[in-house]
Amino acid sequence: MKGNNFWSPYIAGIGLGLTLLATFVITGWGLGASSAFSLLAGVGINKVDPEYARSLKYFSQYLNVEAPLMNWILFEIIGLFLGALVASLVAGNFRLKLDKVTRMKGATRVLTAFGGGILIGFASRLARGCTSGIGLSGGAELTIAGWVFVVAMFISGFIVAALFRRLWS
Amino acid sequence: MVMTAPLLFSQSMGLLLAVILGIFFGSFLERGGLGNPHKLTGVFYFTDFSVPKVMFTAIIVAATGLYLLSDVKLLDFDRIWIVPTFFWPQLVGGALFGAGFVFSGYCPGTAVAGFASGRIDALVTLVGIGAGSFVFAFLYPYIEGFYISTPMERATLPKVIGVGHWVVIGAVYAMAAGMFYLMERYERAH
Repeated sequence: MKGNNFWSPYIAGIGLGLTLLATFVITGWGLGASSAFSLLAGVGINKVDPEYARSLKYFSQYLNVEAPLMNWILFEIIGLFLGALVASLVAGNFRLKLDKVTRMKGATRVLTAFGGGILIGFASRLARGCTSGIGLSGGAELTIAGWVFVVAMFISGFIVAALFRRLWS
Repeated sequence: MVMTAPLLFSQSMGLLLAVILGIFFGSFLERGGLGNPHKLTGVFYFTDFSVPKVMFTAIIVAATGLYLLSDVKLLDFDRIWIVPTFFWPQLVGGALFGAGFVFSGYCPGTAVAGFASGRIDALVTLVGIGAGSFVFAFLYPYIEGFYISTPMERATLPKVIGVGHWVVIGAVYAMAAGMFYLMERYERAH
């Protein structure tokens, strides 16, 4: 496969684990990701229709602060983007494309990407985090939250993959 | 007085550190192949085991470091934000998340890494995640009861099972070692 020059997953895992540990030691909390997009959704709706945004009780946690965008996870996500961008450029892995299995139509891929995203967005709010905030951070703390989330995610993923083989194979 | 972690900084310093830690986060995800949806979904199709290898290695390293630093009193666990447990919402959330993961090919952090390496479909997924968050906020009045159900607060495996944390970490090591061994064997055979 062209451009496949990734590191050993164990090396990448050690690096990621040390980053997570450093985050705990420095800040007192772990890494996260999904809430940045929930925050952006809330701030975006507030820009378009402040009255409606304020009527959404769940989004008030983001909007009732002085500067909603001065948010730790949002800045961490900006760093994540920069780090992955530089890493992919340096490794010669950067390709502008719609990534999918060859025989899938482009429009179908846009639908699976968007529909899957909606599920992820909803599920992350219900679980109070995603693979980073609950899975990695909660898993490393040995919390029930982290391990319940990870086990449920893998079991469900295997079932859905078995039912929809054509998505990725 | 000896300095104990967490160190905590002023807001502007905190945001700068967020970007720096994020840069490490993003480069390790990309270098581990976790910006690539084929590798990300590979575990569910038995074609590529990068996700569990990266994930459980990271969990083991961070768990060992956290509990070791706490044992030698360099880190105060009471000042660490412990991910709160709400059993059923997190079980159902995890299951829905797994389905979204297979459909989109990403999770939130890896979608950012995928977008950063040029993948338009990852950007579409990120827009979907924002839309899904809105759907949750829209439905919140109807699901709030479930959302706050079965709270277990700062429950951890060692506390709930009633064993020392090193017993649990040892079990995680054993589980990961067994899993990694089987994955390597399977990958060599196929």
